[in-house]
Amino acid sequence: MRPPAGWDRDGARIISHRLGPNAALETILIDKGALAGLHVNTPVISPEGVVGRVLRLSPNAANVLLITDPNSRIPVASQINRTQGILRGEGPNRELTVEYVPLGAPIEEGEVLVTSGLEEIFPKGLPAARVTRVVKGGSSLFQTVFAEPLFTPERLEEVALLRRSAGALVVREEMALQDETDAPLTPPADAPPAATAAGQSGRAAQPGQAVKPEQTAQPGQAVKPEQTAQPGQAVKPEQTAPQTAAAKERKAKPGASAAPAVKPRTPSGQKPAPGASPEKPPAAKPAKKPQEGA
Amino acid sequence: MRPSRVLFWGVFTLAGVWFENVIPGVDFLAPGFILSIQEERWPVTFWLAVLWLFIQEGAGSLAFGSGILWYGALAGMYYFGHWLFEARNFLFMFILGVCLGLLHFLLTQVMGALNDWTIITERVFLECLLQALIFPVEWGLLFLIYNHLPEDANAV
Repeated sequence: MRPPAGWDRDGARIISHRLGPNAALETILIDKGALAGLHVNTPVISPEGVVGRVLRLSPNAANVLLITDPNSRIPVASQINRTQGILRGEGPNRELTVEYVPLGAPIEEGEVLVTSGLEEIFPKGLPAARVTRVVKGGSSLFQTVFAEPLFTPERLEEVALLRRSAGALVVREEMALQDETDAPLTPPADAPPAATAAGQSGRAAQPGQAVKPEQTAQPGQAVKPEQTAQPGQAVKPEQTAPQTAAAKERKAKPGASAAPAVKPRTPSGQKPAPGASPEKPPAAKPAKKPQEGA
Repeated sequence: MRPSRVLFWGVFTLAGVWFENVIPGVDFLAPGFILSIQEERWPVTFWLAVLWLFIQEGAGSLAFGSGILWYGALAGMYYFGHWLFEARNFLFMFILGVCLGLLHFLLTQVMGALNDWTIITERVFLECLLQALIFPVEWGLLFLIYNHLPEDANAV
């Protein structure tokens, strides 16, 4: 199984499944730990699909929380219809459920659910489960969708661990650093709140990502990703960086278009080739300085 | 400690871990802990308990400290109970097994609540029942085997 772009793969053997009186959760024990570079929430997959994520670490072993455990929740999207939901475990030998699927959303039996990557733990597009039943009815606003995991826990012997590759980590750190330096900006007074949240780069706010007016940046207040997301929904740095850069551009050059000031990035998060996009004008630099005590 | 005793505890530990893999959620090492309190000197019991504690803590998914509470409460219940009962009585071991089953339920629920985890109550209840039933039977078998070990290598 080839790892997704920007991720490295490492193999691990399963030492044991549930063992002893302290095994309250659906976990497996693998023979790689912190010394092998693992972290909490490291994705664990098998050739069939997503297995779980690292729950606890020791130097040479790690506990992996399976997706069948009731404490596991993964944002997923159906592979064909792109209907989104939250995949939740229901315990051993029970079907998984997909929560928060609206009544009108199309989803079919037999459709594969893939990770949507919204939680920034799993890479986007990994197969996680297959829809077995779709039940509509009752007074709920959501469909009841059941799914089955793509792997058999009892038959697992080896798993693969996914880690962000070194290049991807450098890009993420650069973007985080850029966010910190761009943070204390004042949005224009006439800008509508939705435009402030969605950014000026032409990217529209995603459904469910609409930002309330009180969540927009106040003068001198840092714009953080948490302020543009709903509870439990992480926002990638790419979604906030263009906004701040565009606001700076407007501040430096009143009346100028915001689009050229945005430093575009490829979908994989890599920097574009030199000369592929206009760089920020040096005149905008003084406006980036954090306003101390503002 | 005699070689036969070393072999006994080694085989018991391996067999206990294997049985725990077969029937998850049940502690197959706890009867050995009680037997070592009854039959061995306290340093032997201490080091055996440390070894088994690391096994249970490392393999389990609850937060660290559950095993200490588990074996600590078991030792406390034994010392409290042997003032009232004959320590090597099967009835006392049966009561101890029931208490251990209740302790498993209590400990799992409390640790799950502290970690904000959802625990499958039906499964924990079944594990409690199995623990209560298996504990006295296993202790009885271990007691018989331990007291029929050869005294030294030349004895048959």
